[in-house]
Amino acid sequence: MRMNSYYLKRTVRAVLTVWIVITITFGMIRLLPGGPLEQLRGKLLRQGVSPSRVNAMIESYQNVQPNQSILEQYYEYMTALLTGDLGQSFLQKEPVTAIIGDALPWTVFVMVMSTLLIFVIAIGWGALMAYWEGSTFDLVSSSASILFAAVPFYVLGIVLIIVFGYQLELLPTGHRLSPTVEPGLSLLFVLDAIDHAILPITSMVLTGAGLQVLAMRGNAIQVLGSDFVRVARLRGLSDRRISVRYVARNAILPMYTGFLTLIGFNLGGSIILEEVFSYPGIGYYMFQALEARDYPLMMGIFLIITVALVMAVYIADLTYGLIDPRVKSGDSREAY
Amino acid sequence: MKPTDSTSDADTGQPTVVSDGPEDTFSFETSGSTVEVTWSDRLQDFYEEFIYKPGLVAWDDRRTRIGAVIMFVYLLMGIPGAWFYPAPSTNQVKRGLGPFETLDAPLGSTGSGEDVLGMVIHATPEMLIMVVSGGIFATSVAVLIGTVAGYKGGAVDRALTSFSDVAMSIPGLPLVMVLAVVFRPRDPVLIGVLLTINYWAGLGRSIRSQVLTLREESYVEAARTMGVSTPRILLKDVIPNLMPFVLVNFANAARYVVFASVGLYYLGVLPSSVDNWGIQLENAYSQEGALVGGDALYQLIAPMIAIMGIALGLILLAQGLDRVFNPRVRTRLAGESEATAENEDRETNTEVNI
Amino acid sequence: MSISSDVLNEPQDRDAIIRMDDVSVTYDSGDSYVLDDVSLAIERNEIIGIVGESGSGKSMLASSLLDAVPDPGQLSGSVEYRPVQDQNVEVLALEDSELRALRWEEISMVFQGAMSSFNPTMKIKEHFIETLEAHNAPVETGLNRAHELLEDLYLKPGRVLGSYPHELSGGMQQRALIALSLVLEPDVLVMDEPTAALDLLMQQSILLLLRELREKYDLTMVFITHDLPLVASLADRLAVMYAFELVELGPASEVINTPTHPYTRALLNATPNLNAPLSEMRPVKGKSPAPINVPSGCSYHPRCPLDTEECRTNHPPADPVTPEHTAACFHWEEARTEISLNYAETGTNDGDWR
Repeated sequence: MRMNSYYLKRTVRAVLTVWIVITITFGMIRLLPGGPLEQLRGKLLRQGVSPSRVNAMIESYQNVQPNQSILEQYYEYMTALLTGDLGQSFLQKEPVTAIIGDALPWTVFVMVMSTLLIFVIAIGWGALMAYWEGSTFDLVSSSASILFAAVPFYVLGIVLIIVFGYQLELLPTGHRLSPTVEPGLSLLFVLDAIDHAILPITSMVLTGAGLQVLAMRGNAIQVLGSDFVRVARLRGLSDRRISVRYVARNAILPMYTGFLTLIGFNLGGSIILEEVFSYPGIGYYMFQALEARDYPLMMGIFLIITVALVMAVYIADLTYGLIDPRVKSGDSREAY
Repeated sequence: MKPTDSTSDADTGQPTVVSDGPEDTFSFETSGSTVEVTWSDRLQDFYEEFIYKPGLVAWDDRRTRIGAVIMFVYLLMGIPGAWFYPAPSTNQVKRGLGPFETLDAPLGSTGSGEDVLGMVIHATPEMLIMVVSGGIFATSVAVLIGTVAGYKGGAVDRALTSFSDVAMSIPGLPLVMVLAVVFRPRDPVLIGVLLTINYWAGLGRSIRSQVLTLREESYVEAARTMGVSTPRILLKDVIPNLMPFVLVNFANAARYVVFASVGLYYLGVLPSSVDNWGIQLENAYSQEGALVGGDALYQLIAPMIAIMGIALGLILLAQGLDRVFNPRVRTRLAGESEATAENEDRETNTEVNI
Repeated sequence: MSISSDVLNEPQDRDAIIRMDDVSVTYDSGDSYVLDDVSLAIERNEIIGIVGESGSGKSMLASSLLDAVPDPGQLSGSVEYRPVQDQNVEVLALEDSELRALRWEEISMVFQGAMSSFNPTMKIKEHFIETLEAHNAPVETGLNRAHELLEDLYLKPGRVLGSYPHELSGGMQQRALIALSLVLEPDVLVMDEPTAALDLLMQQSILLLLRELREKYDLTMVFITHDLPLVASLADRLAVMYAFELVELGPASEVINTPTHPYTRALLNATPNLNAPLSEMRPVKGKSPAPINVPSGCSYHPRCPLDTEECRTNHPPADPVTPEHTAACFHWEEARTEISLNYAETGTNDGDWR
């Protein structure tokens, strides 16, 4: 019973969050005085488009009848969203869903790879630093972690483009594929995709790993100093078993939720990353939309990123109980 | 009663309560009328317990010292520096000067003849204001929501926690960008607040957990039994104990503000009416051909160093302060090996007074 | 730490199962002692209570019996384990693999805070299995023994073994930990504050169980605590520690009824006592020394009402009070008259001043 109500609560919360964000986006577009639709209308009118034509255009962009009441508009907007209709992009003259469908896999590829690498490095390196706490290796690694954490990923991105793209001409400076390569299940495609993703991924990983390495190091040191590890040593358990079942497991657990949510947060960071690398993922289009005040596209991508983050937190909440026996029905975030 | 050989400390006839050492006891005075403790005494105590002692531990850490020095340099740049150093303007010096060529523009000049060092320095005050306003906003909202939720419990807790959960699930950077496009904020205080519009949520959650632990502490429980009002307990007994944790997160929030604001200025999402390292970066990157030629590389390097320097200072401060917050490390640092390690058994049979 | 300490009790070889000779633990490359030249013979099948304040070195004494002093502590001296059948073993000279076999198979240990002694992500049963496997013991018979032990401790074996640590109450975890420590049939069980985290009722019932276990499994028990009255009813002999040394050792009834060392007397006066009014309770004046600056001579002299020049310069040897009872004090005879107890002494004439 308690288990079920826990899952139910999480599900309700996830749906509620998405609904609130949808309402906020709706409100921002429509309710603000001098808001985007008004601006668009003014712009079109100034361009000499007839008022009835303007209304028709706005309708096609956002599935709204400008003469309807706010509530009716809200209802229409929500039903359109539920049928997967995010409106029409001003800029690209394409449905927003089509743009997102094309761009999203690339962004997910870059961000999931980056986050995975960050955590693999953090867990391995952090554990080693904890094991050799106080050694030169630990000191150098700690300092390096802090130094890298002080670099914003977009600054490192610019440096990498200059060095590896323009100076050494080793790697492409932008785009997700070479012009000659067609998407498909070929080795050429895979290699070319990786070739284009190396620099963005590197700039995310190097700058993002620092603080995670330090977090893992701290967790591992704490577990190494805990009573149950001391007792396990006295009980004569092998070092191998202690490091895997005792130290690693208990040190990694608190990072699990952070790992999933970081994927979601990094999707938000893709706006800056993909603009720096001219990498046409959802962040790149989001930036285009911001520049051009293309509200349907802007809000569509904002919604998608929100849904991704909400899903990440939701999955983390639902699965944490499976990996940490202490959290069966309670709040998973209490665990850290 | 005893004959006269009873020792002096029993003279008062008061029952002597077994207690911990003075470091562990927490003084709570319930009413000012019966207890003669002046405000200055309390301030003194507060200073001793929550500023001086933690400060000493923090200062003992090399990272805190370096971080503090770095932040001091930025303060110098931001306040007297921006006051005395001439503001950048077009054609103030020869165009396209390299670094270290002339004292008028020590770090060189841009293609439109602006002093690069001047641009770096004059971007600092706005940045500091943003960092402080964002940090204060994020931490104070988090402390308010976290402590009230954790201490009150029940429906208040549920409502506030759900609110934080929702806020936490909205991606920060895209939200801020959309808001920036819609509102076009110019005031640095406002920008700082805008950037941390939902940054507080995660912090609020962890403060809530801290408070849940703290409220079970004996001195908080004692204060509650003695009928001390909730706001008073929160202000006197709970929040001071969260201070190191809050400071660590203040520094983290500040670093987030630096990264996000520079990023947004770089992208041109925030209005480019002020000096900012991000705008400088963008100009050097796109207009000056820093990419291709490499001749204008110095124009990129100056703002990059400025950004990384302030971020490094804030990270070092956060890491150093974290030692104060983490009692295990704190103990080890204080050099009291076994004595404190054994202090876990809360009651000793002897009173350690004087 | 200038003057070499003398042996408090000449370890009499009646039937010692463990003999400690001049055992010291130092930190900071020998600058601070947390255990100072302790010699003690633990007799077969006795329950010996080691009593001291926090930071008196009693936990170090426990750890040194298994050569398990936490890093970077340096352990020196001799700890000899004397099993009935086999040859005597010098614990501190053992190889890693031999030490692994000695621990838990011969000498086992229960730490304070059972809550933190189990891996939170493993069921209790797994703890038993991995322990048996690590010592190449047959798992089947080992688990049967675990069942029996848990039943002896009034636990439901099936339920406890199938639970995660957090699913058990503190008292249950403590008893499960005792069962885990006995699963390989050790001869000696060292317990470091095993009941500190439990309520009074649970403490008492665990003490009762320990007595039953000793009878059933022929155990020798070393019971370390800060709680003198608690252990007084359980132990056969009591050893009182002060400032990393043993100051008094004797049969439990003698130490309680005719305490001899000034510190022991002060300690008893500071202890809540049913036979004395609360107003008579007196704290021990002053502060117990930290490991780095232990006073010269008798380390208790700064707090002792009887201190003389001799106490400040010379280290008091263990003086036999009765053949079984020793105290490390130059003035123990005066202590009986000069330091009054707040309850009636029995059993000796000179204490009968009332």
